[in-house]
Amino acid sequence: MKSVHTLISRIRESEKNGYAFILPYIIFFCLFIAYPLIFSFILVFHRWNIVTPMEWIGLRNFIRLFQDPLFARAIINTLIFLVLHIPLQIVIALFFALLLNSAIKLRGLFRSVYFFPVVVSGVVVTILWAQLYNYENGLFNHILTALGFSAIPWLVDPAFAMPSIAIMATWKNVGLYIVLFLVGLQTIPSYLYEAAEIDGASKNYQFFKITLPMLNPTIVVIFILSTIGGFSLFIEPYIMTGGGPMNSTLSAMLYIYNQAFSFNHMGYAAALGFVFALIILFVVTLQRRIMETEDYST
Amino acid sequence: MKQHILIITSVLLLLSCGPSSHDIEHEKPGVTRLTYWPAPNPQEMQLADSLVRVWNQNNPNIQVRMQPIPVGQSTEEVLLASIAAGTTPDICSNIWPGALYDYTRAGGLVAFDKFSDFDSVMTSRVPDELLETFRSPDGSIYQIPWKTNPVMMIYNKRILGELGYEEPPRTYSEFLKIGRELAGLREKNKSFDVWMGQRDIRPIWWQRFFDYLPFYIAASGGKTLFDNHTVAFVNERAEAVMAFFRDCYRDKVFPRTFSHQQDPFLLEKMATNFAGPWQIPTIQRYAPHIEFGVAPLPVPDNYEGPIYTYGDFKNISIFSNTRHPEAAWEFVKFLVTPEHDFALLEIANQIPVRGDLLTNPMFDDFFKRKPHMLLFAEQALYTRSVDEVADLKEILDALSQEYEAAAVYGRRSPAEAIHRAARRAELIIEWNK
Amino acid sequence: MTRIGIYILLMVGLIVFGYPFVWMISASLKPELEIGALTLWSSDFSSKNYELVVNRIPVFRALLNSTIVSVSVTISVLIFGSMVGFALAKMRFFGKEILFVAILFTMMIPFQITMIPQYILMVWLGLTDTYLGLIAPYAMTALSIVLFRQFFMSIPQALIDAARVDGCSDLKILFKIVWPLSRPVIVTVGILTFMTVWNDVLWPIIVIRERSMMTMPQLVALFVTGGEAEGQLGAMLASATMLALPVIIAYSFFQRYFIDSMATTGLKG
Repeated sequence: MKSVHTLISRIRESEKNGYAFILPYIIFFCLFIAYPLIFSFILVFHRWNIVTPMEWIGLRNFIRLFQDPLFARAIINTLIFLVLHIPLQIVIALFFALLLNSAIKLRGLFRSVYFFPVVVSGVVVTILWAQLYNYENGLFNHILTALGFSAIPWLVDPAFAMPSIAIMATWKNVGLYIVLFLVGLQTIPSYLYEAAEIDGASKNYQFFKITLPMLNPTIVVIFILSTIGGFSLFIEPYIMTGGGPMNSTLSAMLYIYNQAFSFNHMGYAAALGFVFALIILFVVTLQRRIMETEDYST
Repeated sequence: MKQHILIITSVLLLLSCGPSSHDIEHEKPGVTRLTYWPAPNPQEMQLADSLVRVWNQNNPNIQVRMQPIPVGQSTEEVLLASIAAGTTPDICSNIWPGALYDYTRAGGLVAFDKFSDFDSVMTSRVPDELLETFRSPDGSIYQIPWKTNPVMMIYNKRILGELGYEEPPRTYSEFLKIGRELAGLREKNKSFDVWMGQRDIRPIWWQRFFDYLPFYIAASGGKTLFDNHTVAFVNERAEAVMAFFRDCYRDKVFPRTFSHQQDPFLLEKMATNFAGPWQIPTIQRYAPHIEFGVAPLPVPDNYEGPIYTYGDFKNISIFSNTRHPEAAWEFVKFLVTPEHDFALLEIANQIPVRGDLLTNPMFDDFFKRKPHMLLFAEQALYTRSVDEVADLKEILDALSQEYEAAAVYGRRSPAEAIHRAARRAELIIEWNK
Repeated sequence: MTRIGIYILLMVGLIVFGYPFVWMISASLKPELEIGALTLWSSDFSSKNYELVVNRIPVFRALLNSTIVSVSVTISVLIFGSMVGFALAKMRFFGKEILFVAILFTMMIPFQITMIPQYILMVWLGLTDTYLGLIAPYAMTALSIVLFRQFFMSIPQALIDAARVDGCSDLKILFKIVWPLSRPVIVTVGILTFMTVWNDVLWPIIVIRERSMMTMPQLVALFVTGGEAEGQLGAMLASATMLALPVIIAYSFFQRYFIDSMATTGLKG
């Protein structure tokens, strides 16, 4: 009987301990999550250079934002990036995942090498690719001209610069999705294929009606992570192009950074961040909705 | 963590020392104490250290403490923050004119022209015309032009010589003609890879300090982008400069590529370069075999008169927090005497802004030893700074983008680009009213 | 498709993903004029580029800074993340559900919105140019809490109750009994956190201006974009190689853990 009582009192005590355990997080939450959110909301209505006092300007930051061609440019650039980056990643990741899924020997080695760019710093990848993309002296144009093609102005032509960054980002991230697809492929129960074989379904039919739908969760992940990644693109244009040529690689993050830390427009930068964040949430929710309804239809 | 404990203890120490050192100040009645911030680079700190020592010996009643600008952030950020916090020094000699608007708006600086002997002191050092460019829109002068780094054309004598040119190009046509000849040679011989010049084409605002801005100042005979806070660059000269750079890129006088290539001037793959005096030690160190010359920037064909350029000025200001403006002014006058301008030249290798730099025998010997510096010194008086306007960086950024579109890529006409840049600049100014 | 065809395609993949790194290391050892060449070999390999980098920028200090920051953040995330995860999984207290929903919600907040106010907070607290400024905003992460909670749910409650009966304090239960059982999740959270912090460059660029306090990716990025490399291509590649090297070494030993951990984030997304 006594031990039951102590147990009850210990549970009571542990409830207090529960608060003790979460207390550090509560403090952290207030400082680094709640406060920035609230302050960000205040900041968007002000003009402020951090040093002199804040100045209330109502909705003028937002009015400016909708007249700002660079804001529109940043959104268009991000969309260009995503339209190339997402399909490229899905196709390439699926391609290699299917290859790896069929070959048995050395799968670990291949997987490790494909995955390697994922763990390396984006700074390394960007410096490396800036050399590969170099118009006159880069490896890619050397190969192209050696094969008899004309050199491509990778980073120096406004039409090519963002696609070039999208290709580089695909190269860096695709290893993760190869691994995710591989995990996905291995969880597809083999009886599904066996049943399809018996029904006389073609390989193509099997791929589109069994494999792809079963991999849908991974594809949703690619969409969501890539969208967030596209809006957070920073170090790649920062190192490679500075946002040019002709603002063709000005990313959302780079524009916020410029406004905040080059021009000291904290209020306007906060407003940009606010609106970009809303756009990200909207796009991600939309993607989830659409992909999940597709799920029902299959 | 150790670092933090260190920082915290040092802050505590400073706090506890603060008042007591004040007490010491008041112990000796009649002794005024001033703080002086020079730029935090080794040469200027050495210069400041020796000047302050001389001053303190000669002026027992006004003791100056030298303290380099706290590093970490840019000088502009540090100064703005210290104005807001009321922790400014009395004097600073690293004032960038482009940031002056922010300082004066925050009410941080003392007007020099209120000192009775200002005119006599300044006219003996800086020509009026140049001094006027540093007058703030409210009519006062808050900065004393101290030193400058004029942007000039450095050229490779061998490359030009082999094409048959003994003299560097002086006009746009001459410059383009040589550039087109080089382009023709590259066309004929694939292994020949020499260009007339190359610029970082990224639309980064300060890159325009080395192409568009100095060329505009040169072409317009010393005019800057603004006139009393209003946009003043919608004119033929601005368009001519834009058209010149458009021709450079269109006719392959400059390559349209730039991504962290090796410095082509050092590899002798580039005939000319637009740079300040700091470029000279770099050439002498990395490519001592290159025979180079220094010349004023090319100007439009019909231009007459002295050739101006842009220069990175660093000026002296007194902060309005000072309790001893008169004493601070005495120290500033001490900094700009001929002897100490000579020390600036000798120790820091930077060009003082002085009218008599070429006539005063005091400087003769130095320029005999360093003939390249003489060319920059000759240019120094025909050098203009940036204007004192709000959000200068953002306006230069807007200009950069139009420059990129019109000059580098030829996507719009020079006139349209200038109009668009002006419209955006006006919008930015309007925004900041 | 034949087996040989598959292997050929896989080999192509190997070249595509692996060769650029090999090229980078080789080019960083070549003299400046040979860097443009396709081939890896040079008769003139030397460490000149590395000497230039070491002489020009405080690389070793930056590596030390990165290590201090990454290790501190990882330890903090492991300790506090497991504490909150444990409380959420195994303790009963009022407001637990609300807290968990709030934590899930924080995972959805884009950095775009918190970046500026967090920087201003750092300025006010005087934490710019300090290690704490780099560590504090990452000291706890929602993802680690969620991962820990999920793992701890699978630990039988009886085990914990028994330990309580034996008079163990909750801290002791967590770190002495639960932690030894939780190696997989600790490895996952540890690697994820360490990699994120080690590779992060935006936040250091914002809060650190003083060179001696810069992290390695930041220092290398500024070395390459600023004028310090003086256009020396080999030096840029050498600095990038020095930044990549610790990761290359760690990865070659623990690749399986790296891949499994990073894959976890993907599956959670």
